[in-house]
Amino acid sequence: MKFNLRLITKTIPLGLLFTALMGCNPSADDSVLTEGIVYCSEGAPSSFNPQLITDGTTIDATSKQLYNRLIDFNNTNLQRIPALAKSWHVTRNGKLITFYLRRDVSFHQTEYFTPTRTMNADDVIFSFNRILDTQNPFYQSVDGNFPFFQSVNFHELVDSIEKIDDYTVRFKLNRADSTFLSNLATPFAVILSKQYAEQLLADSDPQALSQLDSLPIGTGPFKFKQYRNNSFIRYSRHDDYWRRDVEIEKLIYNITPNNTGRLTKLLTHECDVISFPIAADEIKSRPDLVLEEVTSFNVAFFAFNAQKPPFDNPSVRKAIAHAVNKEAIMTAVYGEQAEIAESLLPKASWAFSDEVTTFDYSVEKAKTLLANAGLSEGFSFDIWAIPVQRDYNPNALKMAKLIKSDLEAIGVEVNIITWEWNTFLRKLAKGEHQSVLIGWTADHPDPDNFFSPLLSCSAMETGRNRAFWCNEKFDQLLAKAYITNDISERKKLYLQAQNILVEQMPLLPIAHSKRAQAKVAGINGDILAAFGGINFENVSKTVGEN
Amino acid sequence: MLTFTLRRLNLLFFTLLMLTVVSFSLSYLFPGEVITNLSGQKSPSAEQLEQLNSLYQMDSSVFHQYFAYLGQLFNGNFGISMSSQVPVSSELLTYLPSTIELCITALFIAMFIGVPLGFVAAILHNKPADKAILAFAMIGYSIPAFWLALILILIFSITLSWLPSSGQLNLLFEIEHVTGFKFIDILLSDNVDKMSAFKDAVSHIILPAMTVALAPMTLFIRLARTSMLDVLDSNYIKAAKAKGLSQSAIIYHHGIRNSLVNIIRQMGLYFANLVTIAMIVEVIFDWQGAGSWLIDSIYQRDYTAIQGGLIALAIFTFVINIFADFIYAALNPLERNRKHGA
Amino acid sequence: MAREHTYLEEEFPSPILQLWHTFKKTPVAIIGLSCYLFLVFLAVFGQFITPHSAVAIGDSLLIPPAWSDEGNLSYLLGTDDLGRDMLSRLIHGTSLTFGLSFLVVIMALVIGVVIGSISALSRGLKASFLTHFLDVILSIPSLLLAIIIVAILGPGLENILWALALVSIPQFVHVTRIAIKEEQKKGYVLIPILDGASELRVLITSIYPNIIDKIIIQATLAQSAAILDIAALGFLGLGAPIPMPEWGSMLATSLDLFYIAPWTSYFPGLAILFSVIVTNLVGEGLRHSLKTQKES
Repeated sequence: MKFNLRLITKTIPLGLLFTALMGCNPSADDSVLTEGIVYCSEGAPSSFNPQLITDGTTIDATSKQLYNRLIDFNNTNLQRIPALAKSWHVTRNGKLITFYLRRDVSFHQTEYFTPTRTMNADDVIFSFNRILDTQNPFYQSVDGNFPFFQSVNFHELVDSIEKIDDYTVRFKLNRADSTFLSNLATPFAVILSKQYAEQLLADSDPQALSQLDSLPIGTGPFKFKQYRNNSFIRYSRHDDYWRRDVEIEKLIYNITPNNTGRLTKLLTHECDVISFPIAADEIKSRPDLVLEEVTSFNVAFFAFNAQKPPFDNPSVRKAIAHAVNKEAIMTAVYGEQAEIAESLLPKASWAFSDEVTTFDYSVEKAKTLLANAGLSEGFSFDIWAIPVQRDYNPNALKMAKLIKSDLEAIGVEVNIITWEWNTFLRKLAKGEHQSVLIGWTADHPDPDNFFSPLLSCSAMETGRNRAFWCNEKFDQLLAKAYITNDISERKKLYLQAQNILVEQMPLLPIAHSKRAQAKVAGINGDILAAFGGINFENVSKTVGEN
Repeated sequence: MLTFTLRRLNLLFFTLLMLTVVSFSLSYLFPGEVITNLSGQKSPSAEQLEQLNSLYQMDSSVFHQYFAYLGQLFNGNFGISMSSQVPVSSELLTYLPSTIELCITALFIAMFIGVPLGFVAAILHNKPADKAILAFAMIGYSIPAFWLALILILIFSITLSWLPSSGQLNLLFEIEHVTGFKFIDILLSDNVDKMSAFKDAVSHIILPAMTVALAPMTLFIRLARTSMLDVLDSNYIKAAKAKGLSQSAIIYHHGIRNSLVNIIRQMGLYFANLVTIAMIVEVIFDWQGAGSWLIDSIYQRDYTAIQGGLIALAIFTFVINIFADFIYAALNPLERNRKHGA
Repeated sequence: MAREHTYLEEEFPSPILQLWHTFKKTPVAIIGLSCYLFLVFLAVFGQFITPHSAVAIGDSLLIPPAWSDEGNLSYLLGTDDLGRDMLSRLIHGTSLTFGLSFLVVIMALVIGVVIGSISALSRGLKASFLTHFLDVILSIPSLLLAIIIVAILGPGLENILWALALVSIPQFVHVTRIAIKEEQKKGYVLIPILDGASELRVLITSIYPNIIDKIIIQATLAQSAAILDIAALGFLGLGAPIPMPEWGSMLATSLDLFYIAPWTSYFPGLAILFSVIVTNLVGEGLRHSLKTQKES
């Protein structure tokens, strides 16, 4: 019994302490809580180097926070503006492009790397040679997987990169390309530190090479501090940032894939900013929250894997496409946030043309086409729906359910399949799917960005061509379009290319939508951009009386 | 006491054996290559594959393979996680302490609220208060934990904004990971304001711990009530009454002590259930524990992590089980000498 | 817990009938039982009496329940974001969540009682192995085990049925074994044995009728746990396939609408709560009757 009594006397004070603490409330006047921003993102990054990826989540998490590019896009008029290159010059034949670099750009100093010099031509050359030179150890460390650069045929386009002096670099191209400069302004064309790469090469452990992409060093406004898999990323301010003094000291990405979870955290102010908010009306109704929207160059589509039966037959693809009721999807999935996609190109693009052949919703046509293909008794297939919310598609699962019920009308049965995001992307790139509901957000304003990365034959090799569809005539049209600088000529070529898509239907464009974000009222500064993901460098936080 | 200890150790040994057999056979049951499931190496090079094959003795009999696997486990090698390619053991070290923290807190809340309520119900037997407590116990036992969690978040986080809805600590506090137990790590850290971090951590644990605690709390209410009723009904209490002891003295001296003995025994048996609830609650409250990590691994078909998580969580509940048994035995000498467990 | 039941003088022919007599005297238990039977009815015939289709997608999205201002009487509990009638989905879901739990319990009961009887009749190493094995299984959190089995078999209704049945078996084995052991100590069992009846015969004719009440009580416990587990699996997205109106997965998909259309989350949660309470009330009523019986 003595033992028993001791137990009681020991535990009671503990319980009292606990109940006393329960009455406490976290106070908002804590300095730790005001010097940083918590951003709740919709997914985990698949890498810390945007050269290696194409998904928007990773771009949002890395590109503009950790790195800079030679050129940027102006947020308001979409013109190219100087970044790490203070100016550039293109020769008349379009084949030689010279960049003049800034001299005051410093790299991050972290626990794992201390730079001894500022950025110069060597870093720029290293960053691109890593992609181009198959002998480069950092090309081999990722098996040459640079999906964006592969899809725009970067290695065929660039003949060589030359160092003129420490702060001048010249790109020599094999042919003129009207999209080249825009491609260098995409979030993928980041500048890495050559010195850091050398430090990793000197390491005896061969695994160290992969640290270039997992323990990042860049020139951006924030530096890497800590990442816990699928949970959070911790960045801290880069004090010697060249462009401006960054106001916030800490930037934290709280990875919250659940839509309601993100909204809840915003409502409780556990997050300062959240991506892809749901329940827009609820947010607008609260005075302490702000909803922001930006016109985004994107498209949601339904891609059919042309390598797998029955979708190797264009008639079957067209039949399914005819049976999808886009109007119903608009009301149920997008609300007022989007417009129906008549073609891959959004209306805001200069290459958009009213003359493009549209594709109508018609159960009759769908049935006739199926009958012609010998599938009048129907069949069943899988739709893969992306598991995360993207700006082009707020709820792919719901869209899949709607399509499933649409297709029942023509006797086709659908199984809806989904995976965790990174697994999904991996399996998708291998072409394991029959059809997929996914989409695309443009990296730059050039219309080519809606075609080459999505449907060219070279994009098929990297798996970014979700339809695994390759058409020579289509590729030739694209190639013709990007060597010319004549806008009306290019517009004509893109129109022809789009008509091939209607004829072949590798994918059905569904919607073009706006990108939204919600934040707590005290967060100032533009975070959203039309291109290249979000940016926290000119954000500040004022503490309200909440 | 010695035979008692030996019997428990024997049970522990047997359990570990069974668990490892189960976990090992999972490698065969899960889809995909056995060696991939065991090691977690997704795309090993030829020489890595050879190394792994010899490590796990894949070319000898299943029996040898099992022992090779067991050897690896004892060396702390649980393989690497298929999705993150980080050793499972280090992930477990990161996540398991949070789960332990949550479960133990919930257990204490359940005891400190449930047991007194049960005693009150027994003392006021068949009075309205007793009925009300019993009804509360019935609802508490029936409510789905995930739904309760949502309701609590709606009330306390969103409507009243008293408590945060997710996580263990505001991420802006940079607490170095030492033990993995947040409260201890906060006390060990030196770069933050300990008091405010500690308060923040407490405010974070309240909602999830309450959610996990509700179901075991109802169990404690019933147990405490029943055993107190039994005690109050027994002959020695009647004798004490006859002796002229006051009601409160009887309850304090005899009732509470003897009822607690029973409750501790049951607590151990119920612990597996508590861990189950904690797993779901971790998912909803974004609690970075082994439960949500394990459920994540299942979404990602990360079989190596599933095996590691299974072993870790099962051992955790089993250790608590045995621990409760020991306390029970220490409090109740009769148990020590019993030959076979019921 | 009465330990001295050596001399039960009022031995009725059927203990289960006797139980019923005491049971029907408690009003709460009777209410519980009628609700329980109502759920059974819905689980069997629910799909024929739903006012709308439970899976077909409709045009009227997110209509609030009929009693609110924008409500519509033809959708009594409102509609979800795909225009599906909530009431019809809930009714249909009864056969999935509640009905499935019923099947789970029946499977687990049959298998568990058989294994429990074998273990009660066996001695030595075999019995010791069985008890230890049970201890191990019981120390693994049940939902975790179910999740792992689902991970092996893949999601789907049938697989959940197997997984949860498998998880509930140990408790039945445990209860049966202890109940049989307890009965074996009693005098009346000796009589047929002295008459030369086989052990199996004694088990079936003498012991089973006397332990069936305990097994039924365990069944109600197992069923309330099974309902919660099915719903939890559904909630985690590891349960019923996507369009099926299983209550847990309904709750999970409605989470996105929590702030716009709260009724889509309230009703499935209430449905789960209701069915578990009802099941527990029946169990509690049985336990209570059993106790009063023993005490009288």
